[in-house]
Amino acid sequence: MKYLARRLAFYLVAAWASITLAFIIPRLMPGDPAQALFARFHGKLKPEAIESLKEAFGFTHESLWSQYGSYLRHVLTGDLGVSVSYFPAKVGDVIATGLVWTLFLTGFAVVISYALGTFLGIVSAWRRRGWIDRTLPPLFVFLGAFPFFWLAMLLLFVFGYTLGWTPVRHAYGDDFTVWSVLTHAALPAITIVIATAGSWMLDMRNTMIGVLGEDYITLAHAKGLHPRRVMLRYAARNALLPNITGFGMALGFVLSGSLLTEIVFSYPGQGYLLIQAVHSLDYPLIQGLFLTITMAVLGANLLVDCVYVWLDPRARGGAK
Amino acid sequence: MRWTILLAVLCAACAPRSRAEPGVLVVEEKEQTASFIRNFNPLLEVGDVRWPATHSMYEPLFVYNWETGEYVPWLATGYRWTPDHRGLRLDLRTGVKWSDGTPMTSKDVVFTFELLAKFRALDLRGVWSFVEKVDAPDDHTVDVTFKRVYAPGFYYLVQQPIVAEHVWKDVADPVTWDNPNPIATGPFTEVTTFETQVYQVDRNPYYWQLPDRPRVKAIKFMAFPSNDQANFALVDGEVDWAGSFVPAIDRIFDGRDPEHHKHWFPPIDGGVLMYANTKRAPYGDVRVRKALSMAIDRELIVAVGMYGYTRPADATGLNDAHKRYLDPGAVAAGDWVKHDPARANRLLDEAGLLRGSDGVRRLPDGSRWEVDVEVPAGFTDWVRSTQVIVRGLREVGIDADMKTYDFNAWYDRIQSGEFALSLGWSEPYPTPYGFYRAMMSSETARAIGESSPENWHRFSSSRADELLRALEETLDPATELALTQELERLFVDNAPAIPLFPGPLWGAYNSERFTGFPDEAHPYAPLSPNLEPGALLVLTRLVPR
Repeated sequence: MKYLARRLAFYLVAAWASITLAFIIPRLMPGDPAQALFARFHGKLKPEAIESLKEAFGFTHESLWSQYGSYLRHVLTGDLGVSVSYFPAKVGDVIATGLVWTLFLTGFAVVISYALGTFLGIVSAWRRRGWIDRTLPPLFVFLGAFPFFWLAMLLLFVFGYTLGWTPVRHAYGDDFTVWSVLTHAALPAITIVIATAGSWMLDMRNTMIGVLGEDYITLAHAKGLHPRRVMLRYAARNALLPNITGFGMALGFVLSGSLLTEIVFSYPGQGYLLIQAVHSLDYPLIQGLFLTITMAVLGANLLVDCVYVWLDPRARGGAK
Repeated sequence: MRWTILLAVLCAACAPRSRAEPGVLVVEEKEQTASFIRNFNPLLEVGDVRWPATHSMYEPLFVYNWETGEYVPWLATGYRWTPDHRGLRLDLRTGVKWSDGTPMTSKDVVFTFELLAKFRALDLRGVWSFVEKVDAPDDHTVDVTFKRVYAPGFYYLVQQPIVAEHVWKDVADPVTWDNPNPIATGPFTEVTTFETQVYQVDRNPYYWQLPDRPRVKAIKFMAFPSNDQANFALVDGEVDWAGSFVPAIDRIFDGRDPEHHKHWFPPIDGGVLMYANTKRAPYGDVRVRKALSMAIDRELIVAVGMYGYTRPADATGLNDAHKRYLDPGAVAAGDWVKHDPARANRLLDEAGLLRGSDGVRRLPDGSRWEVDVEVPAGFTDWVRSTQVIVRGLREVGIDADMKTYDFNAWYDRIQSGEFALSLGWSEPYPTPYGFYRAMMSSETARAIGESSPENWHRFSSSRADELLRALEETLDPATELALTQELERLFVDNAPAIPLFPGPLWGAYNSERFTGFPDEAHPYAPLSPNLEPGALLVLTRLVPR
């Protein structure tokens, strides 16, 4: 398990780097958070009140190093601070309003999209020039080329607005029921699936075609194995390896949110929070979101590494 | 056959368009967000506070009506100034109760102001910059003593939301308290539903205007992450009362149901101006500023940039909320807001900024007159307006360009005076005093590099200082009018900033379920739901059908 230990060390370093970057990057943006806050409320308060407000919101003139120090301490204790744009709510509470929904919606959609795309890729490579192979790849490329939000708006307009089949906004209706949650998630999830399944399918199809040319596939056929067994156990399992790595990356993007989908469907989520935070220079919230996103990317990749070891015996024997 | 059954099942299964129950008014919350955080703290309006806290729960002593310019008696019924004008006696309404049944008294008022003194971050209106003390001689009288005579302070003082002493005295830190279950005097105080994306607030059983008002049973809010989603719900009839910008509203909203859908955008909000940095050559020269203004086609800006929602500004820079102060002489003298490129050219020639061989004027130091008109990216109406401006400036021999900045960068530049020309807003003030103080007072003018929330063009005039000072000290309407009109003439003479158009106050309603909204024909108050505490005037007047 030396391989996994090495990966683990790598992830620790990566975690530290991302925690530090989450601190530095917001501070490189132009503008002053206190002024940005005032701008949002121009007309609502006397300009003279800004000084005492700065104090209340915790804008300090500490040096960057001491800010960094207290930031690290807080991160380690799990305290992400107080959000500026959602003052006085805690960053953790603000993120919590969207995190579950983002995980649910995009996580679900990405898994479906991955499974569907990969499966279709396998089938279309197996049945080269069959009807699936001839119609679906071009169709998915066509649909995937649409801007995300445009596709979302089109679906919203047709199915939500004109036909009235699905709700047009929010994660659930006035009553919190499973049915309500599912109907509300249907359209946004379909948008994500349509937009992303194509690339999974093409990737899988292309690797699969390469694998199908290998000698051991011919051997498997010659042994008289059932074609389905050859397709799934011999060809697909090997073709899946590069695709699995891609899946780890995609899971990370889940948390950064399918931002535009969320906004079009008024779905609560990380994507919208991130825009909001950047717009109002809400450093604590930006940091908190960066952290959850990077941790998710790292976590997903760690998971993928483990799966990889299981799928590919070569990775296990690395030390020998 | 099977397909039709499937379709029928799908249609039956799909959620019907959610319509609120009868009597429940759906209001568009001004904060655009994807999820709500439960916070009803009325004292920190600049935090992420839910709409009802300052619009339907906590009430002020008087409600300023931006449409009529009157102070409507609310928790107080009347006021008297002492002869030396430093003292203000307020008579409180009797029979007002908090939503837990406890009577509201002058002690609550005094407590509220003392809370602001103790926690200065809550004093958003800067009350304690001019107030010396607040006492309660009896249960229904409040005496306020001013540090000096300061008439504009009345507005800030009486609009302060009043909180209950018996609740807030035990709150350790009122700045960060989220007040989840408010005890207040307003018409809607009972939070009955609070979900991530929807919440509802029901009527206060002890409201002092009952049983006549309010007739509405409850108010309900849905989360919209951006204008598009909010407008969508408005057009679709799911929102009854909204206050956000809707493009081409005549067609997409009013036109859909002309009988019930109405909008009213009176130009009474803060204005939009082009600021010229007077501390930078050649913009310190009044002739140059007037010439720039004459090069601008405001009619076109209003039509192209603003969908015709407002009117071109006049040279006093005042909006329609200040109509009663307007000096027709000053407006007539301010001919520099008329589009007149020929006169602009003459003025610039006169100022010695002559055209070079390439047709572009030369600055005093001999360089070509190149200038960026700065505008925050994403303010699409401003960007369109700037395109019109740039074209006009080029016509008079200025090599002008539009430059968009990220909002925060733009705001930084305009506040610290790093710009030459920039679009910007002016704050809405109840009287022209505040506007002219922001435009011409030496108190608001700062040096370049020093951040300033107002007077971005950095102009000051000692005459303006005198007039403003005199205005602060007068309570006589006739004197106030005379002084204000002199300020208007001073502004017209000096063109410190270049007004483009007064900002419209967005408001739209759907009368399918409720009647009694104000509009052009019934202008009893502004329609916008985004006025704190002005929305009270409308909320208490609405009647369910």
